[in-house]
Amino acid sequence: MSDIKPISILVAALGGEGGGVLSDWIISAATQLDFPVQSTSVPGVAQRTGATTYYLEVLPLARNALAGREPIFSLTPTPGSLDIIVASELVEAGRVLQGGYVNTARTTLIASTHREYAISEKTAMGDGRFDTARLVTAAQKMAQRTFLFDMRVLAWKHGTVINTVMFGAMAGTGVLPFPREVCEEAIRESGKAVEASLRGFAAGYGHVTGTGDADVTAPASIQAGVSSIPRRVQQFPEPVRQLVGAGVEHVTDYQSNAYASLYLDRCETICGIESDRGQLDFPVTRETARYLALWMAYEDVVRVADLKTRRERLDRVRKEVSAKEGEPLRLTEYLKPGLDEICSMLPSRLANWTRNRFKGREGAFSVALHMRTDTVSGFLLLCTLRSLRFWRPRSSRYANEQKAIVRWLAAIRLALAMSGGVAHELALSGNLVKGYGETSERGHRNLEAILADFEATGLRDPELLEARVRDARVAALADPEGRTLAKSLGLQPPEPKAKPIRFVRRLPHA
Amino acid sequence: MAERSFTNEVQKLRLGEGDEFRGEGILAVTKALLQSGVSYIGGYQGAPISHLIDVLGDSRDLLEGLGIYFENSASEAGAAAMLGASINYPVRGAVTWKSTVGTNVASDALSNLASAGVKGGALIILGEDYGEGSSIIQERTHAFAMKSQMWLMDPRPNLTSIVNLVEQSFELSEASQTPVMLQLRIRACHVYGSFICKDNKAPRISSNELITEPSFDFSKINLPPSIYEQERLKIDARWPAAVNFIRDRKLNETFDGELGELGLIVPGGLYNGVIRALQQLDLADTYGRSKIPLYVMNVVYPLVPDELIQFCVTRLSVLVVEEGQPNYIEDAIHAVLRKAGVAAPLHGKDIFPMAGEYTGEVLLRGIGAYLDAARPAKLEVTEVLATQRALTGLRQDGVAALVEPVPSRPPGFCIGCPERPVFAAIKLMQKELGTVHVSADIGCHTFGTLAPFNVGSTVLGYGLGLASSSGIAPLMRNRVISIMGDGGFWHNGFTSGVVNAVYNGQDSVLVILKNGYTSATGTQAIPSSPTQRTNHPMTLDIAAALKGVGVRWVKTVPSYSVSDMLSTLKDAMTTEEGGLKVIIADGECQLERQRRIKPIVAKRLKAGKREVRTRFGIDDDVCTGDHSCIRLSGCPSLTIKPNPSALRTDPVATVNQGCVGCGLCGENVHAATLCPSFYKAEIIQNATRWERLIYRLRSSVIGMLAGASRTQEALTA
Repeated sequence: MSDIKPISILVAALGGEGGGVLSDWIISAATQLDFPVQSTSVPGVAQRTGATTYYLEVLPLARNALAGREPIFSLTPTPGSLDIIVASELVEAGRVLQGGYVNTARTTLIASTHREYAISEKTAMGDGRFDTARLVTAAQKMAQRTFLFDMRVLAWKHGTVINTVMFGAMAGTGVLPFPREVCEEAIRESGKAVEASLRGFAAGYGHVTGTGDADVTAPASIQAGVSSIPRRVQQFPEPVRQLVGAGVEHVTDYQSNAYASLYLDRCETICGIESDRGQLDFPVTRETARYLALWMAYEDVVRVADLKTRRERLDRVRKEVSAKEGEPLRLTEYLKPGLDEICSMLPSRLANWTRNRFKGREGAFSVALHMRTDTVSGFLLLCTLRSLRFWRPRSSRYANEQKAIVRWLAAIRLALAMSGGVAHELALSGNLVKGYGETSERGHRNLEAILADFEATGLRDPELLEARVRDARVAALADPEGRTLAKSLGLQPPEPKAKPIRFVRRLPHA
Repeated sequence: MAERSFTNEVQKLRLGEGDEFRGEGILAVTKALLQSGVSYIGGYQGAPISHLIDVLGDSRDLLEGLGIYFENSASEAGAAAMLGASINYPVRGAVTWKSTVGTNVASDALSNLASAGVKGGALIILGEDYGEGSSIIQERTHAFAMKSQMWLMDPRPNLTSIVNLVEQSFELSEASQTPVMLQLRIRACHVYGSFICKDNKAPRISSNELITEPSFDFSKINLPPSIYEQERLKIDARWPAAVNFIRDRKLNETFDGELGELGLIVPGGLYNGVIRALQQLDLADTYGRSKIPLYVMNVVYPLVPDELIQFCVTRLSVLVVEEGQPNYIEDAIHAVLRKAGVAAPLHGKDIFPMAGEYTGEVLLRGIGAYLDAARPAKLEVTEVLATQRALTGLRQDGVAALVEPVPSRPPGFCIGCPERPVFAAIKLMQKELGTVHVSADIGCHTFGTLAPFNVGSTVLGYGLGLASSSGIAPLMRNRVISIMGDGGFWHNGFTSGVVNAVYNGQDSVLVILKNGYTSATGTQAIPSSPTQRTNHPMTLDIAAALKGVGVRWVKTVPSYSVSDMLSTLKDAMTTEEGGLKVIIADGECQLERQRRIKPIVAKRLKAGKREVRTRFGIDDDVCTGDHSCIRLSGCPSLTIKPNPSALRTDPVATVNQGCVGCGLCGENVHAATLCPSFYKAEIIQNATRWERLIYRLRSSVIGMLAGASRTQEALTA
């Protein structure tokens, strides 16, 4: 039946992004032209931070041309029948693809390329982010036309909410059956933040029609700020040179030039072996250089004090919390130093003595500090801690970390002699050691388990061994309790730490 | 104080004869109630009908002018019992709640109401929360209608049909002396459309026109022998009266089509979806003219047998589109047709799936399969099927193109929610005391069962957190914890949980999340709400109520103090004191708080008054990307961003612009000994001159002390 069909519009958004207001604008635009219009939504529990959709249909025919007939609109988007879809975030565009709503023959797909991460992506112990490269390809393949750009940045730039840019982009595609002025009138009619909304609308419209200001692409990935490359770094093969440079800079910044020399010595050894093996892209050196730099610059109170007292940090904080020029800022740090932090700065023998002396009473040393660092005294205290940098090489923690590093590097060298793949996996395992307190302990424990397994294993088939190390490395990041790792290495699951808590059975009827 | 203010929408309720109403479905229902001359309205909030309660709450003037009594009932049972007013007196009343959970709660009163019968029209508006976006168990209202013999309306989801059916429902109720239920699916409640209004009708009996003569009629009492007579009346008088009314008023609709050998039987609520599928297959036009004839049931219970027989008798086969299970309607139609000797095969759940929502894709597949089986002579079925397959294949294509499914985005606690810290504390407590059985409840706090907390092993119903632990607690080595919201507490948890636990000497721990409102349904007021409607000066006290029934161990802990909550929880779990131990986690719903304070703060800032704005932040060079903080929070504003370091590959944690400075990040850092990358920034707006001066002085000293990063050149220089 060839009659004029409704235009169907799907808005995929997250709670609080103004999807409802966007629907209202579309309704208002349709009403100005006396087009029949219907909108529905599924707020339900989705209103609480979840994904939500708004669905609209507009019949592009004024009511007086309908002769009393009423169009029958659908209340739900149906596969393949969408004319225009706008997603406020990239993964939401993926969700729409997954639902079968995008039709090559019909659908214009607009999506913002920025990410709002889902909880599963955020809680991963490492990098749990969804790979969006495939998503972009899929969108371009499945839609009739796609417009993917960072709408959030445009919204920020124009001091408005993302829904205004979304509306402008929709209007710009020409799929909405309203001229630009009608859309702008709808925004004016709503009467709220009109000027900013119109700016956002114009930005979205301009981007899609190619008439707007400079295009908005994703911000360029952060490049290493290697200013001038020291001579020893220049001697590294090209594929790893930049990374080793960044490592040198990191370690220098952490401790000293001499410490950076030690770093370079260690890198050179690995690089030398790998070079002999004829590896052209140096994967083992790359990952070793990366995680070695991070490990050598392990996190301790001195480092934290150092980073928190830098001029650039003070500027960054003001910018991040959008403090205006001249507005006083009170700054509180949450620090909870304990016996461990104290011992780690003592020389090894004294540290061991102290640990034994206070065994079982560690908790008593943990003080939850709310340290004000906008005051001179608070800042000075941090400066004092910062100055302990010169003492660091004499501390017990330093000795322990170097010992563990040496063991790790030895394993990598040993593996490299046998198989590049195994060595690469061991190098990547360096990422397990990071963080503070419990997190750091857990990382050390996990890496040690993997190294011990490697050192003791009878496996001599490189492929099997590589798979074993990889599985263990991934397993170590699966749960904080180390259960998955234990299973992967065939060990007993870790015992929960004994706690001096008395359990009281429920009492019978009093 | 509800999440949405309907002050503007209330004006639409005043529209008169011939005016065009434009707005949401649930508002149209409200307007239809006023046009029907109701004397009283009640209800209990719950998606998707909360707005009906909210809008009535915002329209006191209008209601009082018409003499209509409105109350926000204590529970669905209370609302259903309110309809008792229509048993003896010719007054129309309407109540509303979320089905089927609310109908479960209301069932006692509904059975009694339906048995006694009504003189004045009694209407129950049900938000049928089934399918996409639903937050409850997937059951149907239909069974309630059948067991108590109440009539069930399922209007076509356009405003004109909905409003018309609300008005007809009152007449049907009076004609058959039976309460009527009207079910509206989620999207129908939220559908934006228009209809032409009538004038509002002031009820004949109202708070302005009072009843002077109370009535007593033993035949309305649910005791023998009245109950036997009531049952007989249901069958002999009320049912036939209803069927005649439905037939005479043509409440169900028949649409002819050129493919006369086929037929579709469609409940009103599914009509638009079915038409869309037909439109996509080129079997219906934009205005719903279908090639396949349709029988649309705007009343799904009771059936009108002669209409069904007439529709089916000439067809070669008929398809029933009945969403949800069991397939009551299909089976009932089968019985009607077979008893009448109609031979036409009847399809339904043999073609459509037994369970789940009938989405566009399901309808397309179902209708395709029906046509494939029926093969009508005047239709190129092969062509239709090709169209259908192209459309229904798109989902697989999309899934295949993505390779890996996109991460799901379940609902969770809002930014700054006071319930989040409580679950963080429970998680930390379990780390120390070992795992604990937690009986969860209904409310925003049900999200505690989701990542990153995964706290709560069972959910049995609203306010039933503590009651649902009464069986497991005596069987568990350690004490168990129950969760209850303040909404659930007043709804029934106080009696079914607290009173019962005290009376039976149960030794367990109850955490009451006191955020001040029924937040999950849109922050409606409850007896203990800090802000009440103007005519409700009373705020009831939960702690006093607990003490009043003999709970000795009651501790109130501010929700955001994770360390205090942790130690109180440990105390409750290990104390030698028996009996019920109640921890009241006290913290106002942040949504409501922000709504309340935002305009005040804006006003103060404009007037040049001093205001402190709190924000949390993370030093991205101190963060190492382990994300333990996120695993203990899940706050939407605590998220991740690419690592600024050239070496690190894992994303770092970051606090985005949405932060309301609730303080949980800092509390968690201390309670769980996380990393030192968090900071709290308090920005002093409109600071005093003294503050500015001090800040400038401090900054200049700090500026001199501040360091910079060390580079090779700087060190060698």
